[in-house]
Amino acid sequence: MLLVLSEEQKAHLGCLPRLGAAAVGELGRLAVELLRRGAAPRACEAAARKLDVGVDTIQHCVEGLTYLLTESSKLMISELDFQDSINVLGFPDELNTVLLQLYLDSRKELRSVLSELAPKLPSYHSLEWRLDVQLASRSLRQQIKPTVTIKLHLNQNEDRTAQVLQTDPSTLLHLIQQLEQALGEMKTNHCRRIVRNMK
Amino acid sequence: MATVGQFVDIKWKLGVAMSSDTCRSLKYPYVTVTLKVADPSGQITDRSFEMTIPQFKNFFRQFKEMAAVLETV
Repeated sequence: MLLVLSEEQKAHLGCLPRLGAAAVGELGRLAVELLRRGAAPRACEAAARKLDVGVDTIQHCVEGLTYLLTESSKLMISELDFQDSINVLGFPDELNTVLLQLYLDSRKELRSVLSELAPKLPSYHSLEWRLDVQLASRSLRQQIKPTVTIKLHLNQNEDRTAQVLQTDPSTLLHLIQQLEQALGEMKTNHCRRIVRNMK
Repeated sequence: MATVGQFVDIKWKLGVAMSSDTCRSLKYPYVTVTLKVADPSGQITDRSFEMTIPQFKNFFRQFKEMAAVLETV
């Protein structure tokens, strides 16, 4: 699969041959650092002064490199496809080698960062329960009605939410039975085969 | 136009918490109150909360005081 670069991106990356292979290596490392930590305007200014180029040029080069690296990592492009994709830019071979090495070195880390961006459902944190007996209500006195009250603590995007639920013992037993059945599915041949193949 | 919720109905129940995940023998009485409230848009929601017996006695006393004040108006 080939990466398609827009005209703007090609223009951004067009500044790279001028800077030389060593500088491109530096900028590549800066791009990965930015993806790891976030924006760092001072690092870009320092790089601009060191390479004796305008800050805007550095900014564009880093943006172009960032796009190249993240898109390639996202699509898990093979070495060959990566080389073919950057060949259209018409860079010298030395530069192409530097870019390829940069891609291969940072791919694993970038993929793990990108995997964090997928939408997440709330996840289980903890559970508190209480067994209650209802003795009376507005509508009925002299009762003995057992209920189970559950406080379900969930994590969502760094926040903690708590949900209070109530059920009667027979529904709770049914719930337990259903969950045990779900766990039991893991032991079937079908599930075992798939889990074995995924490892 | 109303900008606060409007009270619709109140339901209550009295229960005893027998045991929990942190304490196996509680025997702790409590009152659960459910208020049916209509918010300014007209949507009716249930608001439930629990009280201990002392809290409930205090709750009840507040309403008795309100009733007493209304008598004097």
